[in-house]
Amino acid sequence: MGTITASKRQLAWVFDLNKCIGCQTCSVACKMLWTQDEGTEHQWWMTVNTQPGQGTPKGWETMGGGYKDGKQTPGKLPTPEEFGGGWDYNYQEVLRGGKGRDVHLEKTAGSKTWGMNWDEDEGAGEFPNSYYFYLPRLCNHCTQPGCVEACPNDALYKDPENGLVLRNEDLCKGAQMCARACPYKKIYFNPARKVSQQCIGCFPRIEQGVAPACVRQCPGRAAWIGFLDDAHGPVAKLVNQWKVALPLHPEFETKPNVYYIPPLSPAPLNADGSWNENGDRIPASYLESLFGQPVHGAVDTLKTEMAKRRSGQPSELMDLLVMYKWEEALGHLRRDPAEIVWS
Amino acid sequence: MTQQAKQITAGAWADRYRDKWKWDKVTWGSHSVDCYPGGCPWRVYSRDGKVVREEQAARLPTIQQGVPDMNPMGCQKGASWCHLHSSPDRVTRPLKRAGKRGEGKWQEVSWDEAFTDIADAMLDAIQDQGPESIINLMTPEPGAAPARAFTFALNSPTTDGNAEFQDFSPGYYITWGIFNPVSSMDDWFLAELTLIWHCNPVYTNIHWYHYVAESRYNGGEVVTIAPDFSPSAIHADYHMPVKIGSDAALALSMCKVIIDAGIYNKRFVQEQTDLPLLVRKDNLRFLRGSDVAEGDRDDQFFWMDDRSQVLTPAPRGTLALADVEPALEGTYTVTLKDGSTVEVIPAFERLKERLKDYDPETAAKICETHPDMIRKLARKVATRKTKIFSGWNSGKYYHGDLYERSMALLLGLTGNWGKQGTGTRSWAISALDGSSFALNKGRMGQDAAREWLNNLTKARRFLNQDDPTLTLEMLTYRASQLAVERGIGPGGLLPRMIPPAFLWYYQYGYKERWNNPDNNDPSMKRTFDEYLNEALERGWWDSGLAKAYQDVTPRVLFESGGNMLRRQRGGQRLLLEKLWPELKMIVSVDFRINTTGLHSDYILPAAQHYEKIGMGMPSVHHLNFVLIDKAVDPPDLAMNDYDIGIGLVRKIEERAAERGMTEFTDRNGTVHTLKNLVNDRTLNGALLDEETRMAEEIKDNAAYGILPPDSTLEVARQKGTIRWTGWGLVGHGLGQSSTIKPDETHNPFRWHTEDKLPYATLTRRAQFYIDHEWFLEAGEELPVHKEPPGHGGPKRQFKMTSGHNRWSIHSMNLTNNIIMNTHRGEPFMFINNKDAKAKKIENGEWVRVVSDVGSMLITAKISPAVRPGQVIVYNGFEPYMHKEWYSQADVEVGHVKWLGLAGGYGHLQYRPFHWQPIPADRAVHVDVEKVK
Repeated sequence: MGTITASKRQLAWVFDLNKCIGCQTCSVACKMLWTQDEGTEHQWWMTVNTQPGQGTPKGWETMGGGYKDGKQTPGKLPTPEEFGGGWDYNYQEVLRGGKGRDVHLEKTAGSKTWGMNWDEDEGAGEFPNSYYFYLPRLCNHCTQPGCVEACPNDALYKDPENGLVLRNEDLCKGAQMCARACPYKKIYFNPARKVSQQCIGCFPRIEQGVAPACVRQCPGRAAWIGFLDDAHGPVAKLVNQWKVALPLHPEFETKPNVYYIPPLSPAPLNADGSWNENGDRIPASYLESLFGQPVHGAVDTLKTEMAKRRSGQPSELMDLLVMYKWEEALGHLRRDPAEIVWS
Repeated sequence: MTQQAKQITAGAWADRYRDKWKWDKVTWGSHSVDCYPGGCPWRVYSRDGKVVREEQAARLPTIQQGVPDMNPMGCQKGASWCHLHSSPDRVTRPLKRAGKRGEGKWQEVSWDEAFTDIADAMLDAIQDQGPESIINLMTPEPGAAPARAFTFALNSPTTDGNAEFQDFSPGYYITWGIFNPVSSMDDWFLAELTLIWHCNPVYTNIHWYHYVAESRYNGGEVVTIAPDFSPSAIHADYHMPVKIGSDAALALSMCKVIIDAGIYNKRFVQEQTDLPLLVRKDNLRFLRGSDVAEGDRDDQFFWMDDRSQVLTPAPRGTLALADVEPALEGTYTVTLKDGSTVEVIPAFERLKERLKDYDPETAAKICETHPDMIRKLARKVATRKTKIFSGWNSGKYYHGDLYERSMALLLGLTGNWGKQGTGTRSWAISALDGSSFALNKGRMGQDAAREWLNNLTKARRFLNQDDPTLTLEMLTYRASQLAVERGIGPGGLLPRMIPPAFLWYYQYGYKERWNNPDNNDPSMKRTFDEYLNEALERGWWDSGLAKAYQDVTPRVLFESGGNMLRRQRGGQRLLLEKLWPELKMIVSVDFRINTTGLHSDYILPAAQHYEKIGMGMPSVHHLNFVLIDKAVDPPDLAMNDYDIGIGLVRKIEERAAERGMTEFTDRNGTVHTLKNLVNDRTLNGALLDEETRMAEEIKDNAAYGILPPDSTLEVARQKGTIRWTGWGLVGHGLGQSSTIKPDETHNPFRWHTEDKLPYATLTRRAQFYIDHEWFLEAGEELPVHKEPPGHGGPKRQFKMTSGHNRWSIHSMNLTNNIIMNTHRGEPFMFINNKDAKAKKIENGEWVRVVSDVGSMLITAKISPAVRPGQVIVYNGFEPYMHKEWYSQADVEVGHVKWLGLAGGYGHLQYRPFHWQPIPADRAVHVDVEKVK
């Protein structure tokens, strides 16, 4: 079994769920960059799902893994069907097959019942008090990564310089103990190469001073990256100073390093159809189930600071969230990749 | 561990990943498609002669201090565009149909064979029926337009995009004489209140929704008004769930609250709108100069000066009120030229009368909402800088013009346009004169460009001799109208255009549907045909060849960059049954095989983005020239659109000569030569090379003042984007009516609100009162609420709505396997959970959606966010993705509102892109059936 070595510094992601619009640009950017080879068709290291929902793999939140009171808990290995997707289509048959309307474009490979974003925009509640929001997910690059400990081949490590959880794929033998141990179920299996794969934190970009694609390509300007110990950076400010950015499912005890600013939602409607200005459309209990007790304080802080700004007062938190200069979201990783010339 | 850690970044596996993220070439790119604003600046990365990925350039500077920058502008379609380069639906060789149309059997042929066949079919059509029998469908991809070069040579008509793709806003046009006033995207940050209304920017404005989210953090509020809990409601402060098609009632009720409370912006109403203008009580027409004095103008209007109680002509050349206090209320007696007297009232009085029907309690019943919401929202609008984020949805409703007029009224009463953080938006594009006038200038060089501009300006001077009050904007419109009347293109790159409704009516088989009372407003006083015939008899549409299609049968159908069999409201059945058998030649120019391509005789393979030099659609939303450079050559035999266009023109010239055809006459009696066609389209061969062409256009744009003086192709290649410095002379830009400033967000209409220039409407003011006799007959002289008609079948259970989607630009990216894997990867329709349960429909199940005109098969996607009784089919699924290949358009009726036929009235006459009958496709009545 592998051992976890603490890293000197830790990179962390923050996603603002009030700005995320579920567009999947992060997912697609990641896909285009890293998972275009045979065996990776179904792999989406970055995904965005509609919450409440079953996401991908289907029902991942209840598949186990992680720790309980410091001890690893058993987890399920998601099936390819539960991950879903990996589709290919009968293009040739429809477009050049001479069969006319006897055929239509349909899936010829991959899951028949699920996809990485199958329950998009479905959500919960009852009309008109329906609710949902978008949740972008990638490997959490945990401080206590269950995958590292679970690996029988010592293939997984925490990078001591930046805390990324990385896999030496040359050592990986595809045992998939990591995927069982990961409570976030963000580890995929490559059937062609017989290895597991997950987000690599865009380390080739990071070592060139370029931000990961999911952050740098987010058109919603909902993502930040930076070192948690850089007290002047927006990531540390949002996480440590303002405490509005929270880890997902802290009860999994892997100490994830992806943080979320919890979603506000429109005023719900009273039974007579009028607005309930003081109510919550997304049940507080649901947010608590995702982000734990601290979510209530985070939501209160957001509401307080928004109210301050609405009454014309300054708010450092609102300024951070506005992100006047987009580059600030990239922390120290501001290099323009187009300027790199490979020798 | 340290040793192991080093392994992590030193191992072979790590190098494999490093190698994936390497390239040997970087070029600038964008996507010249109709995802307005579009024109996102991208970097395109190539390796070994193949484009491997693209990433947002993200280099746009801050424009106004205190307003966020525009980075990293882009979306998931742009981020995977290059995947389409090698998608299995890509076509790289000319394909000739080898089976029946629609069968999907092809023979690869040479370009020469394809061009020869097509050219001969066109010459046959000219001999058989005239050039009007060659139908070119306007599609909004400017990259595809050059393939239609022959339309200039043959003077064959192109269907006007206003009706063809129907993304415009008739109610805004009626009000302002322009339909596309938009602010730059950064201006959204400055709104204190944003109403997302008839728009779903979370899907459709992925690249700049952040300004809405950021306006909330800046102290603004967001209210989403939509029948469903739309994706654009989830990040709002409030969602107002209104009944489908009740938006006018909602807006008018807010107007009533505002007027009753006396919190309207009186000075703005007096100065910027027609509401102080006097209306005769006897006939409800405006009091006109021709009523009052012999020889006075028919388009001179009056108001009553409250201070002096003197009847005062409202100036036609300025909005400035000077010392006049136009009355908004009261009844006055005026002596007419024959000595008789008539009572008149300001239009504002008529408005107050109209609004009596819309107290919040009554409106709340119509809208199925709560009256307190209406009151609260009205007060917010009246007290804050308010923007209405509307899109292209409202105009697609049968009574969408009324919704938009009502929304504009709400803004007008509250002074909410013509200053930063206010206004509304619809579709917007400008046009860069360097491209538009590339051929007009006659020879290469910027001296020629400047001469052309001088001559154009001089020529326009002659157009205002009878009316010196015409602004440059109005002169531009008049010039384009004169061109249309002469049967030529309205200017620049635009071909000879026709409002296609008449072609549809006579030749596509819509007559029966358009006369079916179920599809029409029940309050119509006469039948559709009676209105149509009157409009034609009065010659309102003569310039649009309306009567020609009573006897011209289409022979050639040419589409480049479009997909008619998906797009045409009313669906394929009519087209395949009525139009297709008449057509001798159907051509699809595209980079892929779409449903229309499958039903064509030829598919001509076009180059993709990054395989040719181009530019992003000129977008007012960010005001940049955006270069799309060539990264790689087109694959195999594919050619860029321009070369396809010129290749076809060359073949037409050749074949005409071989057939002994030297000239022909069009229906306007104009004789056109068939000689020297290529030279005419290329400045005698000087513009054949794409590099030269783009270099010349950029330098011309600099000469025209649209780009900075030092702008060149080299500069564009260094910077990728160049911010505009002016609008040029093409009307879409001028219609923004504001000066572009280097360090401010753009907001339209400031020439009106700040410089007091008049609007290009009949009354020279934002016009809420339309005294056209048909509008009076319809009771629509002022905005009013009317229920949508029962199109599709009035008794059917559901109303089908739609919208542009998140996953594609129409059908263009729906076959991109990467994108397909981010949604359900098959056509789907949202339906409410309780409705689905009652019908025992499972999530993901194929169902049949039925209307009176057709049906389609589609899968169900169940969500409580959908309003009960509503089904939502987002636009764009390729018909061949559906079983049976029938799609959304096949359950739509494709009918037009009769008032769109109105003409002969100020700004309400055929004007390309602006005014004509347009089809309705929202709120279609359908049933949803389980498939046995």
